[in-house]
Amino acid sequence: MSDHDVTRPKEIGRNIPPIAISETSTLVNPTGSWKYIMPRYEDRVAPCNAGCPVGIDIEGYMYLISQGRVKEAANLLVRENPMPAVTGRVCHHPCEHSCNRASLDEPVAIHSVERRLGDMILAAPPIPAPERTRRETVAVVGSGPAGLACAHFLARLGYGVTVFEAAPEAGGMLRLGIPEYRLPRAILDRQIERIAGAGIEIRTSTRIGVDIPWSDLDVFDAVFVAPGAHTGKDSRIAGAEGNEAVRPGLEFLKEVNAGARPDLGSRVIVVGGGNTAMDCARSALRLGADVTVLYRRTPREMPAIPLEVREARDEGVGFEFLAAPMAVVMEDGRFTGITCQRMELGEPDESGRRRPVPIEGDVFFAPADTVLTAIGEDCDLSFLPESVRTKWGLIEVDPVGESTSTPVFAGGDAVDMPRSVADALGAGKRAAIGIDHYLREKAGEAVGELPLGALRFGDGNVSAVRYLEDGDPIPREAPVNEVVTWDRMNPHHFHLAPRHEDHFHDATDLRAAFGETNFGLSEKEAIEEAERCLNCGVCNRCELCLIFCPDMAISRREDGGFEIDMRYCKGCGLCAAECPRGAVTMTREGI
Amino acid sequence: MSQTIIKQHIPREELLASGHLACPGCAAPIAMNLVLKALGPETMVVLPACCWSIIAGPWPQSSLRVPLFHTAFETGAAVASGIKAGLASRGDTKTTVISWAGDGGTFDIGLQALSGAAERNEDIIYFCYDNEAYMNTGIQRSSATPWGAWTTTTPTRDPEHHPKKDIMAIMAAHRIPYAATASVAYPVDLVEKVKKARTIRGTRFIHILAPCPPGWKTQNDETIELARMAVERRVFPLMEVENGGTWRFTVDHPGGSIEEYIRKQARFKHLTDDQVGLIQEQVDARWEILSNRVLHGT
Repeated sequence: MSDHDVTRPKEIGRNIPPIAISETSTLVNPTGSWKYIMPRYEDRVAPCNAGCPVGIDIEGYMYLISQGRVKEAANLLVRENPMPAVTGRVCHHPCEHSCNRASLDEPVAIHSVERRLGDMILAAPPIPAPERTRRETVAVVGSGPAGLACAHFLARLGYGVTVFEAAPEAGGMLRLGIPEYRLPRAILDRQIERIAGAGIEIRTSTRIGVDIPWSDLDVFDAVFVAPGAHTGKDSRIAGAEGNEAVRPGLEFLKEVNAGARPDLGSRVIVVGGGNTAMDCARSALRLGADVTVLYRRTPREMPAIPLEVREARDEGVGFEFLAAPMAVVMEDGRFTGITCQRMELGEPDESGRRRPVPIEGDVFFAPADTVLTAIGEDCDLSFLPESVRTKWGLIEVDPVGESTSTPVFAGGDAVDMPRSVADALGAGKRAAIGIDHYLREKAGEAVGELPLGALRFGDGNVSAVRYLEDGDPIPREAPVNEVVTWDRMNPHHFHLAPRHEDHFHDATDLRAAFGETNFGLSEKEAIEEAERCLNCGVCNRCELCLIFCPDMAISRREDGGFEIDMRYCKGCGLCAAECPRGAVTMTREGI
Repeated sequence: MSQTIIKQHIPREELLASGHLACPGCAAPIAMNLVLKALGPETMVVLPACCWSIIAGPWPQSSLRVPLFHTAFETGAAVASGIKAGLASRGDTKTTVISWAGDGGTFDIGLQALSGAAERNEDIIYFCYDNEAYMNTGIQRSSATPWGAWTTTTPTRDPEHHPKKDIMAIMAAHRIPYAATASVAYPVDLVEKVKKARTIRGTRFIHILAPCPPGWKTQNDETIELARMAVERRVFPLMEVENGGTWRFTVDHPGGSIEEYIRKQARFKHLTDDQVGLIQEQVDARWEILSNRVLHGT
């Protein structure tokens, strides 16, 4: 209906008395001139994206799922993370810790959604290998998550990539350190197959410095070093040296993960509170032992993923907190256990955790057949040339992983960063971008400074999609690289909805079973879970701005976005105040 | 679905034009827009004197894309009744005729005409958008002004000392087929009520609370927040009354202290904490009465 199409008196009847009739609309009034402040659509960054060490556009793929575009969501995910079926299972999901939804009810179960998408990707036919567009080649040392991620993104950037792996099979710590019940080998194999299938050569059983010299890598234009941390730290248990009953936990895990089922006896003590300790404890449990974890602080300070701790407890692992191992006890030449020092928490140390201090004279005996130590691992960097500088046993690198010796880059557990699969993947991605930039510059391309800040999600990790592809795959309005906090959101438009929890194997029949314990969510549940995402900071076309605008100044654009007609917007700010996700900003700029 | 997908419930047709003369952040055009969306183009609007007489635009303009009839303050319900009768005499039974009045034109000046129309059960929908004072003439108190509020005729040294008139009870007492309260902060509830009213014959009455930034002395962008708080804190419960006897709440009213609602509005700035406590008591007492009506009828 046009704005002039109001019923005229002649259409009503001829005999009505004279009366004033309006013939124009109020559209002639430029009421927008009243404003002193105006709204602008500005999409921001969801905290999950910034909190993801890999640099995944989580909010983006959640949005696509909510629109029924599940395949596109999976595609967006795998473009940022080459192994979602792995991380969906083993990542400690810091994304969920930063999820704004926690302030409303519970965080979105991002890992469960990722896992479901990851499994979908593995079930679908592989995408064709990227084209080789660059003449340069890059060597990658180590085929763990950092090495594979770096190789994957370098291949997508068009480089020839060769990965050198010391072990007989690729996967690094994913294969050697993570037990099957958390990461089934079939999933890992298929995931690595996918990555390797996309134009990457992996040379297994090739340890640099042993099987081939470092100098063999000179033929490559750049090297990415990600050897991992494989040497168990000294347990400092008196009398442990040379005693077969006291073993490095990682060595035990490697054995079990390779298929062996060593006899540990009936009582096992695991020393440590991290993920390796949990993996050791739960693996030993599956070999039929009674397992007690000995940790010198309290549950609150444990570095292990809380879910892993809970699962261990549910499966029957015992915990002895505030206790540190002291000395091996032998009786008649036979190992019978260890003496332990009772601890208490003192002042916080550099890590912010309260330092455990011994309680003088409070010592107890813990009987055991085997003690597994899992108190951290060191790196063997002896294969590196001296020009690659190290500090405290770790390779020194810049933000994109470049070492002090160009063109050697490094990442993963061998550099100073959190030791997680996600952080390793993120380091591999950053290094691939750093190597690409370096090689292009070397080839004489006018590359300028690497826009690292713009590539990051907020202050989080870099986005490969932003670096490799033109523009954002999901159109974002005037994006501002700033994380949206809960106080910028309007919670009134959200409904409470319980989080979908993963389905778990019944803990009672776990012993001696190395099958997967966590079954994740069904596809339907995962989609429902994705719909819990609040799309923090990003317009998801909810149209509340349009509904609440008193001046009808907002209209739909053909591309799905919105337009504000500044001729009529009076600058009241209701669109910004009511936007549930903080995607509208009021500004005085341009008035 | 964990998020409100409001847009699926709101018709897309726009029957209100930009360039109207409401103040920034005014709830009245939001209310009109939602009501017209729910009623559709086969609607005629009768407008007794109120803010909307200005908002609609000066002659020769109109901000509505449906016919609009400006009329005198006290005549909203009578003129709407007449137009409806005129249409009926010409064989038009489809067009919905509404009266769109402020609280002054409803609670005070237009009450006689409204009562007459309701008593005769005229086939009109009477909307009252209630900003709780005579706002466009300069914020004079009406019988819809809440206890304790400042207006230019109830200055802070002698603020409004009568509670708001219980217009819903008055309309229910006329035994009209449908009466409801609605809020711009609950657009789906509002649209559903208007659609429902449209299917009913006889006099229908819908009372919409319309926060007013200049009259309530609030920020322009707080309008929806205040309308929402009024509902949540039970100051303005959302309900329906059918045939004067069946009372029903239509949304959740979690309750809680009204302090924040009151303190956001500078028209209540002069109130002491004790006085705010008195308002809380009034709200609680009225909630009791309404809950009883919902449970036991009138």
